[in-house]
Amino acid sequence: MAYKPQFFPGSTHIADNRRKVLDPNHKLEKIRDISDKDIVLLMGHRAPGSAYPTAHPPLSEQQEPACPIRKLVTPTDGAKAGDRIRYIQFTDSMYNAPCHPYIRSYLESYRFRGMDPGTLSGRQIIECRERDLEKYAKELVSTEIFDAARTGIRGSTVHGHSLRLGEDGMMFDMMQRFVLDKKTGIVKYVKNQISEPLDTEVKVGKPMDDKWLKAHSTIYHSLVGVGTRDDAELVEYIQRIHSLRVKYGFMPKE
Amino acid sequence: MTDTTFPQVRIAPERLLNPDTVERILNKIFCINGVRRMLLNGHRLPAIVPYGPAKGQLNPHEMRRVIKVGDQEVQLEIHVGNIILELENRDPIPELKAACDEVFTQFSYRLQEGRFMKTEASLVDYAKYGPDADKNLLGLSDPKSRSGPVILQGTR
Repeated sequence: MAYKPQFFPGSTHIADNRRKVLDPNHKLEKIRDISDKDIVLLMGHRAPGSAYPTAHPPLSEQQEPACPIRKLVTPTDGAKAGDRIRYIQFTDSMYNAPCHPYIRSYLESYRFRGMDPGTLSGRQIIECRERDLEKYAKELVSTEIFDAARTGIRGSTVHGHSLRLGEDGMMFDMMQRFVLDKKTGIVKYVKNQISEPLDTEVKVGKPMDDKWLKAHSTIYHSLVGVGTRDDAELVEYIQRIHSLRVKYGFMPKE
Repeated sequence: MTDTTFPQVRIAPERLLNPDTVERILNKIFCINGVRRMLLNGHRLPAIVPYGPAKGQLNPHEMRRVIKVGDQEVQLEIHVGNIILELENRDPIPELKAACDEVFTQFSYRLQEGRFMKTEASLVDYAKYGPDADKNLLGLSDPKSRSGPVILQGTR
C-alpha cells in the first residue's frame, strides 16, 4: 500500500486546521488581493520595478562542475538567474492567529522549493532567492494563513506575539508598522518590514473577526481557544513519542 | 523603594490600553483619596528607532503621546499594560473597582492585591544606580532618567 502522509495527529479542529495547511494538495484559500508591487514594498529589499540584483552570473552562462545532484535537481527561477538571497519574516500572535512559526516552517517545507525556513518562538523567517521569495511571500500574505491584525510582517523588532492585544484587536508592535484605519476598518502598512516609512501605504484588508479566527486558528491556547490537553489523541501521540525517545537509549522493541 | 506597610493593588486589563483610556482611568483614580503612588507598566515605545536597518529614524506611534491627568501633563512612553498603585490603606479599593467597572466596558480586567513594588534595593539597583540613588524611585522608574516622576497635586 502506498504511503499516505497524515501530517498531524489530533481530534480537535485545531489539528484539522494543521492537517489542512500542511497538506500541499490542499490549496490555501485566497482571502485578499495584494499586488506584486505591494509585496516588494513590504519587504523593502529593492525598489518596485527595478532589476533583480544578482549574487552570481546566471547558471546558463557559467560552467558548472560535473555533479550528479545538479543533474537531478532542477534549479528554481531565482537560482537560475543568480538572484541574491533575501528574506521575509512573520510574527504570529498567540491570540488565535491563523498560523504560527512551527507550522509555518512545516507548511513551507511541504509547499515551496529552494528556501530555508528559520523557526523561533515568536517569529519565523524564510530565506530564498529574491524572485522565488516574492512569489512565496505573495502566497503567504494573500491566503488564509495571514490575518491583518494578528499576523505581522516584521524584519526587525518582532516583539509582540505573546502580548495582550491592543484595544482595537491589533497585535503590539513597537514600530507600529501597520495601523487600523478606524474609518474604513482596513489595516494598512505605513512602514516596510524593517521599519522604514513607505511612500505609499499598503492595504492588507480587514482583520478577521474572532469567530473566524477561532475556527481557522492552528494554535492550541487554553485561554482563548482549545488547549493542548483537550486533544486526547494529540496528548497520546506526544506521550508515545516522548516515551520512545526516552527508551531509545535502551534499544526499544515493539 | 516602598514601605511594606502600605497595601498595593495592580489593575490588569485584558487588553493593552489606548492613551484615551489611560487618561480616563487615571483621572478617575486621581479623584480617589488614599492613593500614594502610581506606576504605569507597559512596553516601551521609543521616539527614535533604536536599532536595526532603520536606526536613528523617527518612530511615530499612536500610543506615544501626552495625556492630561488632573492638571498635569504626562508623556506616555509605553503602551500601558498594567497600573500599579500604592495605597494608604485598603479603604479606596471599592472605589477603584467602581472606577475600573466604569472605564473597562469593552473588555475585562483584574484588580489584584499583593506586593508589586520593590521593598528594598537589589544588588542590581546598587550596581546600576550607586549608593546615592533616590530610594523613593527604586523599582518604580529609572532614577537617572532625565524626565523624573510626575507629581500630581492631591485633591485633599
